[in-house]
Amino acid sequence: MSLKQLSKLVADGEKEESEALARELLAQGTDPIEILDDLTRTMDRVGELFANLDIFLPEIILAGEALTAVVDIVKPKLKSTQRLPSKGKVVIGTVKGDLHEIGKNIVKLMLETNGFEVKDLCYDVDPLDFIKAAEEIGADFIGASSLMTTTMPRQQEIIEFLKDKGLRGKYKVVIGGAPTTQIWADKIGADLYCEDANCAADKMVAIST
Amino acid sequence: MTTAYRVWEMMERSKTGPHIEEDDFLPKLFTPTLKKLITKYEIKFDPETPLPSDDAMADRIWQAGWDLFRKVGIYNTDSHRIIQVSDEEIKEALYVAKDRYWVGAGKDAKLWKHRQVEDTEPPFCIYSPDITVDEHLHHSMCAAYLKEPLLDGFCAPILENAVGQLIESGGPTEINGCIQHIYNMRAAARQLGRPGTFFVAVGTAEHDSGQIAVSDNEWGVRTTDSRLVGTLTEFKTANTLLNRSVHYAQYGCYTGNLTGPIYGGWCGGSEGIAVTLVAYSLNGLLIHGAMFNQHFPFHLNWGSNTTRELLWSIAMAGQAMARNSKLLYTSNGFANAGPMTEMLFYETACHALVSTVSGWHLWEMASTRNKYRNRATPMEARLGVEVGHAVANMGMKREQANEIALKMLATYEDEAATASKGKEYQECYDVQKALPTPEHYDMYRRVKDEIADMGVEFPF
Ligand code: B12
Repeated sequence: MSLKQLSKLVADGEKEESEALARELLAQGTDPIEILDDLTRTMDRVGELFANLDIFLPEIILAGEALTAVVDIVKPKLKSTQRLPSKGKVVIGTVKGDLHEIGKNIVKLMLETNGFEVKDLCYDVDPLDFIKAAEEIGADFIGASSLMTTTMPRQQEIIEFLKDKGLRGKYKVVIGGAPTTQIWADKIGADLYCEDANCAADKMVAIST
Repeated sequence: MTTAYRVWEMMERSKTGPHIEEDDFLPKLFTPTLKKLITKYEIKFDPETPLPSDDAMADRIWQAGWDLFRKVGIYNTDSHRIIQVSDEEIKEALYVAKDRYWVGAGKDAKLWKHRQVEDTEPPFCIYSPDITVDEHLHHSMCAAYLKEPLLDGFCAPILENAVGQLIESGGPTEINGCIQHIYNMRAAARQLGRPGTFFVAVGTAEHDSGQIAVSDNEWGVRTTDSRLVGTLTEFKTANTLLNRSVHYAQYGCYTGNLTGPIYGGWCGGSEGIAVTLVAYSLNGLLIHGAMFNQHFPFHLNWGSNTTRELLWSIAMAGQAMARNSKLLYTSNGFANAGPMTEMLFYETACHALVSTVSGWHLWEMASTRNKYRNRATPMEARLGVEVGHAVANMGMKREQANEIALKMLATYEDEAATASKGKEYQECYDVQKALPTPEHYDMYRRVKDEIADMGVEFPF
């Protein structure tokens, strides 16, 4: 029984076995932080495999679920001085009028596997609903996806409504989707533009510090 | 009616079917069922053979697609319920579906017939740039495509602006844009002397209201034309989509079901894509009453389907449907490279070759990962369609087509991730005359000659 085995079980998406092994490791006195650090590295590797399509979406999702299950077991064992490395809360959705959700789903997944807490509002989401949800969960980021030039104005509206409500400073607005660009992000005053899901987590960490 | 039957029953079932959370539908129902079926039916991708000649596997893929559709059903994201059908209903729908339809009007009407594997009958060829275009280029591009001699059907580029206003989904500007879209198509078809050409229209309609606004036999989309209804990837629908199906059926035009299973996504790899393509044809037939299915499987990272992992799925799904049904279905090419690159010509040719020999009809060609405005021209579609006609006329066998496909793949496959974006329409076409520039034409001719040297006997 070792961290190495746990790492393999999580990567393979074996949820129940991962949970059992995590419990055993804790009982033997393994430092919870060490488990979490190790699993973070595992998920980085799994993320890379998926980025190259050496594994497919269902596999990385299973790995993510196994990871979440282990984190839920390990978290209560952390000493009060140890902090779980949460990178922030994100509200994400595809904007109103737009049914394209695949890219958004992948971004959500990559953020979750990288230690963000994500609330998914699905697709065809009204600009005001992004803000409502962000307020409700105390989000750090609002992520808006648009796949059509005809729905890109809804990304701008999120930012305009945030200003109208005096909330602009409270959230970092991140945008993406095939027709969007850095130029568009600058024009509407978004905090961040990401071309793909792979770079989203790192870039979001960079702007939150 | 086409095969649109039981519209009311489908509406009812989408409200009364079994409930499941949307988040659970794909990971807990769709993907595990698909994986089990791939194992049960022993379906195996072989990268060495992008175009296999394995009849027994084709038949197993058909059965797996049938089982997938029946066992999983289609999820309505508005009602949070699954629309399910029985084996008996699938059999009935397949029996009732006709193997041929007259489409288009008057002297321009065409008979669109089911094809077999290695059929000597040329494919029905729908030309489509699959892309958005600047407003001032729209009419010219419509004309350029409608000039194509082998065109059987036409789907026009999409407008982002109309009368100088940005089109916004679901709003009045969209209605305006949709009307402009069909006007430009009709005007170009009339000017070119083929006013009754079969249209698939209008792509500018993102909302159901936009589609419904252009149904008119006098000035709009006619009952002799077709319209698309998308299926959400994978196996999902929504009321805004069912609204279209019901409207198309009641208006009386031909319905096409648009589906794009994703390699690397919920379907997994090549095997999953092949099975899902078959299942999607049944979905189109039963849920939407579609007279044809328009399939664009694509690679999650590249947004293309001209590399071997996707060509294999296209080949196998085509053969599965050709051998086991009398349905009509188009193979929609998605290329990595952009216009006026040799790579785009080769990608299109290879896609058309594999599809045609496997029993598909053609829908060519989305270029540049289907992503960039103005980046498509009729020339790549022309070459693809000419390859389709050539290999059908020759009655080319799968083994020979596989050899040629491997030669074509060798010219571009390594560049899938890094392909050039090429040029925009106005850089390689004379916009006023709607004709290719000499340089563009020469490149097309050169690649066509090289392909002829590989063993494709073009009729002209
Ligand atoms: C698949 C697809 C569909 C599927 C969608 C299925 C689904 N459930 O999502 C279906 C068939 C339903 C569909 C329907 C339509 N589509 Co469509 N579709 C596509 C296609 C081919 C691929 C999109 C995709 O999923 N790509 C794969 C994912 C992984 O990539 P991605 O979305 O770009 O996401 C990545 C990045 O952009 C980024 N990202 C994305 N979002 C975000 C958000 C944040 C916060 C961050 C940080 C990053 C980020 O990370 C992602 C992962 O790396 C695109 C073409 C294209 N190349 O984009 C057309 C495209 C988007 N569609 C288009 C059109 C026109 C339509 C229809 C109107 C067709 C019709 N006439 O019916 C309808 C519209 C329905 C509607 N109201 O939304 C046009 C839009 C044109 C425009 N006006 O701009 C496109 C661009 C095709 C084209 N070139 O013309 N479509």
